[in-house]
Amino acid sequence: MEPEESMAVSDFLIKGNLLKQGAEARVYRDTFLGKSTIIKERFPKKYRHPLLDEKLTHRRTVQEVRSIQRCRKAGIPTPVVHFVDYTSHCIFLEDIVDSVTVRDHIVSTQQRPHPGPTLEHLAPLAAKVGQIIAKMHDEDVVHGDLTTSNMLLRTSGYVVGDAAELSLVLIDFGLSYISALPEDKGVDLYVLEKAFLSTHPNTEALFQKLLKSYAASSKKSSAVIKKLDEVRLRGRKRSMVG
Amino acid sequence: MHTSHQLELYPKQTVTQLLFKGVKNSAELRKSAMEGKINAALINPKMIVDSFQVLVAANKAVHLQSIGKMKTRGLYSEIIFNLSPANNISEAFKRFGISDSDDSVLVVLVATDDESQVLADITEKVDGQQVPVAELPTLTDVMQIRKLYKVTPQEEKIGSLLDSVVCRMATKDVV
Ligand SMILES: Nc1ncnc2c1ncn2[C@@H]1O[C@H](COP(=O)(O)OP(=O)(O)OP(=O)(O)O)[C@@H](O)[C@H]1O
Ligand SMILES: [Mg+2]
Repeated sequence: MEPEESMAVSDFLIKGNLLKQGAEARVYRDTFLGKSTIIKERFPKKYRHPLLDEKLTHRRTVQEVRSIQRCRKAGIPTPVVHFVDYTSHCIFLEDIVDSVTVRDHIVSTQQRPHPGPTLEHLAPLAAKVGQIIAKMHDEDVVHGDLTTSNMLLRTSGYVVGDAAELSLVLIDFGLSYISALPEDKGVDLYVLEKAFLSTHPNTEALFQKLLKSYAASSKKSSAVIKKLDEVRLRGRKRSMVG
Repeated sequence: MHTSHQLELYPKQTVTQLLFKGVKNSAELRKSAMEGKINAALINPKMIVDSFQVLVAANKAVHLQSIGKMKTRGLYSEIIFNLSPANNISEAFKRFGISDSDDSVLVVLVATDDESQVLADITEKVDGQQVPVAELPTLTDVMQIRKLYKVTPQEEKIGSLLDSVVCRMATKDVV
């Protein structure tokens, strides 16, 4: 009976609007239970052993669902889960309408000709990102894939330069896990730093803003920042050797 | 007066909701449902924030039925079980099913074909006044729902009560 069921979802997805084809997942937008919905489908990886693949894919789906609920409970904005199909590894999520990824927002802001330096325009956003990650880490959620593509910025009601109006939503928790270790949180920040600086050139000062805001918002930030420094150093040593 | 929604994943199945107020025969209805004489889920509307909450429960029930993984014995008990944040079936019935003293009831049907006869049968059995399903929020016991689903104040700052309830229902198997 199981294969038959998976067909229900895949038949549905065929008609859906594919937003993104990734290495691990396909993301669709469609109407589900009468609402605009984002459907994230983790598909099998042919090069992996089928049983191992099934296990890993299932684990990612479970991790994503769990962390979303844990974050929401703590007041950290993530999309509402509407339905999960554990046989086809599909998560049906609230569509964050009128949003852009933080990545796209930074890119377009940097391209716009500004009267002043870009940093000033993006500083409140960087501060907000730092604050939200601090809150997440204080709940012992380690994201595992912090990039500016995995943060959505609601554009409705958005006023440039007014941090209070910034509404951020964290997404893509497939690699997340629960940990209280400063080391794990430090690595989380390190991953973000790498991704941030390589995606957005000349944003070192902006990223410093983000870290400063993180440090100010998290109750346990000093141990995490210390670990971040250590991880950076290790990274540098490794690249000197390699 | 009633609302019907064809399930996107299972287009042959349509979920219909009917709301009744001033119901005088809850005890009789509950008995009939238990004996299988009423083929529908009889839900306590005080525990429902919005008809979307019921659609989420019904979709999950139909899905689990189709893969043979229901936790309860029937589709209608499964809908009631899915509404509950707990994994205890009798607890789910106590909170989300109707009690003998209730004076309102939300009837939920899942039908494959023409349902007009079934609707007429149900309406006949309920001694009460049918009102639009859109009136559900006027019956919602918000305090009770917050308590039962353990909704936190921080959570209500980032979304609606419906968001909190639906997310718990959808994630309860793994949380
Ligand atoms: N709930 C949502 N609302 C609106 N847009 C979304 C939502 N979820 C995802 N998206 C869009 O789809 C894109 C991809 O989503 P997501 O990051 O979850 O998948 P992914 O990167 O393919 O996953 P993975 O990293 O596991 O391969 C996002 O960058 C965003 O543009
Ligand atoms: Mg992503």
